[in-house]
Amino acid sequence: MNEETVWNRLREIFRDVFGDEDIEIGPDTVADDILEWDSLTNIQLLVAIEKAFKGVKFNTGEVANLKNVGEMVRVVLDKSAD
Amino acid sequence: MKDIKQFIKDDRHPEALSAILRQARMTADYSSYQSLCRLRSKINADTTAPKAMDLKIALLGGYTTDFLEHPLQLELETLGLACRLFSSNYNSFVSEMLRNDSDTVAFGPDLAVFLINSFNIPEWPRPGDSLEAIQSIANKISHHWLGLCESLHRNTHCEIVMSNLHALPTRTTGNLDCRLNWEANSFIRRVNERLNHKAPAYVHILDIASLASFYGVLNWFDSRFWHHSRQPVSFDCLVPFIRNLAALIGALYGRTAKCLVLDLDHTLWGGVVGDDGLEGLKVGAGDAEGESFRFFQEYLLRLKQRGMLLAVCSKNEEENALAPFENLPGMVLKRSDFVSFKANWDPKPDNLRLIASELNIGLDALVFVDDNPAERELVRQVLPQVKVLELSDDPAEYPVLLDQCGWLEIASLTAEDARKTDQYHENRQREELRDQQADYDGYLQSLEQRASICSFNIRDLDRITQLVNKTNQFNLTTKRLNRSEIEVLMDNPDVFTASVRLLDRFGDNGLISVLAGRIEERTLHIDLWLMSCRVFQRGVERLLANYLFDSVTKWGLEEVHGIYMPTAKNRLVESLYSDLGFQLIDRDRQGVSQWSIKVQDYQPVPVTISVNEDCDHE
Repeated sequence: MNEETVWNRLREIFRDVFGDEDIEIGPDTVADDILEWDSLTNIQLLVAIEKAFKGVKFNTGEVANLKNVGEMVRVVLDKSAD
Repeated sequence: MKDIKQFIKDDRHPEALSAILRQARMTADYSSYQSLCRLRSKINADTTAPKAMDLKIALLGGYTTDFLEHPLQLELETLGLACRLFSSNYNSFVSEMLRNDSDTVAFGPDLAVFLINSFNIPEWPRPGDSLEAIQSIANKISHHWLGLCESLHRNTHCEIVMSNLHALPTRTTGNLDCRLNWEANSFIRRVNERLNHKAPAYVHILDIASLASFYGVLNWFDSRFWHHSRQPVSFDCLVPFIRNLAALIGALYGRTAKCLVLDLDHTLWGGVVGDDGLEGLKVGAGDAEGESFRFFQEYLLRLKQRGMLLAVCSKNEEENALAPFENLPGMVLKRSDFVSFKANWDPKPDNLRLIASELNIGLDALVFVDDNPAERELVRQVLPQVKVLELSDDPAEYPVLLDQCGWLEIASLTAEDARKTDQYHENRQREELRDQQADYDGYLQSLEQRASICSFNIRDLDRITQLVNKTNQFNLTTKRLNRSEIEVLMDNPDVFTASVRLLDRFGDNGLISVLAGRIEERTLHIDLWLMSCRVFQRGVERLLANYLFDSVTKWGLEEVHGIYMPTAKNRLVESLYSDLGFQLIDRDRQGVSQWSIKVQDYQPVPVTISVNEDCDHE
């Protein structure tokens, strides 16, 4: 799976979870940049990413400590089976 | 979703709302549900579902409850209940429930939802503890939690929905676990058993132990998210959790369906009776599909035995539709299990209307079960009040889909419920008798009606509560009260209460009418007067009026005051007070009318019901 595909799918997931068609994300996007990104929507995001990428499962440390979207993408690239 | 967005863009808010509510019922995925909640928030605040009832609900949790706020509101709205929510801080439930000056108490909830899981257990047995020691810990814990409920109830009179506990996904002694009383899961079962059986009438147990076991604890509980943010239920199980909670709340406020309307071909049996003939139908042992239809029928029969009415609505020649019930081995259901049987070629919405009017219940009390998606869609569009079950193409899934839909939830079971189908059949016999009689009075005479009238007593409290919360047509004020509020009326010496039980030659109609009024100065104010639709036009209201005026004369009261508050469904009793000789004293802009009569002016009306005075109060 190439990085661009991951970014494209992730952008769709963000727009879906936050119900905002105009959301843009980049490697440095953090929770503070998106109004509704709280611990509940964070879980919602992670669950949606796990469903979208076969083989991806965030461990408890990643659930708690991922700092920005760039780190999310790296986990997906490392773990994705596709 | 697209059509909803378009409705909102076009400012067609009522259409958008009904589309959202329809879609919500068909959604099992939490993210889609959240999107619907987001769209709901864009709709004008003054657009609410028709007949919405306004509830104040307090959320108290030993875990995070943020996730359920918006979805619970939306799910309740699909049941016709609008609510305002108040959430206390995470894990502050002890002080919120104990202190009489807490924010929760100040909010004045009608209902509190108290949610905990096994991580809230403050003390566990140690390995090897004696049974006695273990029982004492279990008692202490259930006593603590139910004590919190008691305190909150004392301060607010609210009803309480309280969860029990699901199992842990681990067993430190493996298969021995189930035999060791001190093991965690054995102990959880013991605590649950205490809660389930010791809960007082105002505490309604949300049976999470069962629900989680249906999905499997490992699917129900995602430990990552528990450790991260005290999220108690995995995202895949959130919608079932919320649906189940909303269903229980709905049932407490009378939002329970009364009749299942079933299609026949591919719904009760495999195949099409008109094309395949009896020998071509699949139902019963010997064939996997046939066996799953039989299972479904067995499930329906159990529903019927606990008080759900069953009806048939099928596109068929009547003769063909009846044949399997008479001559097909493997069928569980019999013709006599159904209170109405419509097999014809008319559009199904027409038949549903007929069924509702025959049974004298609202369209919103019907659940429509049909394997054909086109029929379901037609009913959804033509009769949005009817609850349409979304079926899959697999009969093996029918029982679970129906079981989890939340429309069949009941708050309590009364003796009346088990006799319901019989009572409708008895009604049919009454109608036949009526048709034979030359005049209506002659019919009433021949019914040999006997009534007993009692003031409210504890034995009848569940039935009275049930009747108060679901009666729509013969209901002067449509005032809904919970069990505790009715208990307060029962214990108040300045409140006159009466309930009527009616028997006749065809059977026992059960407790079918309720009246309550305050005595102030020398006037009785009737605040509550209602009657089950099963016994309309039998003279019960006149019997009760006579009884009431007898009583107030004995007590030396001078006046009786009545009030009629119109709703979409109670036109029937618009002129009741005027028929009884009351004078209209006021009618406001909403149509609420006040009526009054001097006790000495009341003319008793003859009725053909004899009265038994023996109300054995226990």
